[in-house]
Amino acid sequence: MTEAVQNVAQPQIEVESLNLWYGEKQALKNISMQIPKNSVTALIGPSGCGKSTFIRCLNRMNDLIKNCRIEGKVLVDGRDIYGKGVDVVDLRKQVGMVFQKPNPFPMSIYDNIAYGPRIHGASKKDIDGTVEHALRSAALWNETSDRLRSPALSLSGGQQQRLCIARTMAVKPEIILFDEPCSALDPISTSRIEELIMDLKKDYTIVIVTHNMQQAARISDYTGFFLMGELIEFGQTRHIFENPLEKSTEDYITGRFG
Amino acid sequence: MLDRNYKEKMIESVLFSVSTLTVVILLLICLFLFRDGLLLFEDVPFSNFAAGRFWYPTSVNAQFGILPLFFGSLIVTAGAILFSVPLGIASAIYISEMANPRVADYLKPFVEILAGVPSVVYGFFGLVVLVPFVQQTFNLATGQTALTGSVMLGIMALPTIITISEDAISSVPASLKQGSLALGATRWQTIYKVTVPAALSGISAAVMLGMGRAIGETMTVMMVTGNTAVIPSFPGGLFDPVRTMTATIALEMGEVPQGSDHFHALFAVGSVLFILTFLINLVADSIKKKYRFKVD
Repeated sequence: MTEAVQNVAQPQIEVESLNLWYGEKQALKNISMQIPKNSVTALIGPSGCGKSTFIRCLNRMNDLIKNCRIEGKVLVDGRDIYGKGVDVVDLRKQVGMVFQKPNPFPMSIYDNIAYGPRIHGASKKDIDGTVEHALRSAALWNETSDRLRSPALSLSGGQQQRLCIARTMAVKPEIILFDEPCSALDPISTSRIEELIMDLKKDYTIVIVTHNMQQAARISDYTGFFLMGELIEFGQTRHIFENPLEKSTEDYITGRFG
Repeated sequence: MLDRNYKEKMIESVLFSVSTLTVVILLLICLFLFRDGLLLFEDVPFSNFAAGRFWYPTSVNAQFGILPLFFGSLIVTAGAILFSVPLGIASAIYISEMANPRVADYLKPFVEILAGVPSVVYGFFGLVVLVPFVQQTFNLATGQTALTGSVMLGIMALPTIITISEDAISSVPASLKQGSLALGATRWQTIYKVTVPAALSGISAAVMLGMGRAIGETMTVMMVTGNTAVIPSFPGGLFDPVRTMTATIALEMGEVPQGSDHFHALFAVGSVLFILTFLINLVADSIKKKYRFKVD
């Protein structure tokens, strides 16, 4: 594809000719992409273009959907996650996901964060530290340290989403997928999440689906533009927004459709 | 114009009176039940009824102690709940979370048919199959025991518990389950750490309603529990015959002279039963409301 991507030294996620069908309908067509380590990659495109479907291929959340068929390869750290003998549980530990709507569990703030470490067998001693670290990393510690035992649902929407990010980090993934994480939030909460995402790329590889092109331009290093199940263009965000190679990318970015 | 308005008003008031009819009926039942029940206490002190250990309604020194009947109902109901709650919740989890949707579609109608079987048919099944089985298995003098009644009532409470728990479990938002799976939880971890706790109030309501069903059941218990009015011990009493409040009313009402103390005593027992089921339903309802609020 574009020269920007060929220069990528160390891809953490490599997608090779990925095709996906829901029953008879083909939702992803021959997608190939290399996502570099410790970067933020934004996926943009109009509704129904397949960007959310694509991101859900990266941690195999599409496994939950009946009649969903996948061909092609997705390599994470060089290993094909659709290959034989891959443990989905281990994969999802390595590749975390934050959803569109904040979905904290109906339990305390502490228990929400501790949930992941507990199911993966962390000891009681370690969990306290993990919870504090995750909340600090998600910039939520100052607001919640004095009420860790109160219900997570008592937090505001933006706080709930940061809690979900903290919850994901508590499992110590390498990659975090964000599926339109700000679409249910107000502008102030959104900007806090954006700051957080830019900060997190030091430690994680981040892939984010967004409807908001300004958001993609603000926070991402790489951008992929999806249209009708195809990856039209993928490259450095600056290139995509300033000199798109394809006409449809330019039309979408300048708001001529979408 | 005026005519049309008049018609609308007419229809509204007809529908209103039809729907308030249920309330009126309930109030009338209360009125007559309590009135006839309270008449007992003109002749018999309240404490002899409420704390009496013997139910000898037809002897010369007639005694109308409700305790043997009350504890009879209690032990049979408790046994039924112990039997049906684990089974019911397990089935509800299987139907809503694990079964292939096609299998679930086949299972659900069967559960509903279970609810529609007349209680006398359950009683017949209990009498012919379960009573001899219990007698032989535990080597008892008679198979008509509290345990037999508990198992039968448990089976009868199952549809209530399964359908309502299944409802509660399936209404847990998919986003919660996905959140758990995305953290690397297995399907089973997700079910017992996220889905079931989130549905817990709905499940408790299901248990309460199942209990209400069990405590009010008459025909089946009458046929399989032996009907001996003795205060049962626990848990050994499970293997003895007992007599429940419902069975007592059903058995004795036909023989009793109208207006006698015995007649009023049966109404008093009925009042206790009514209050008990009313309270259980009230609790179940308030739990259910709380749970609805939580899901929003």
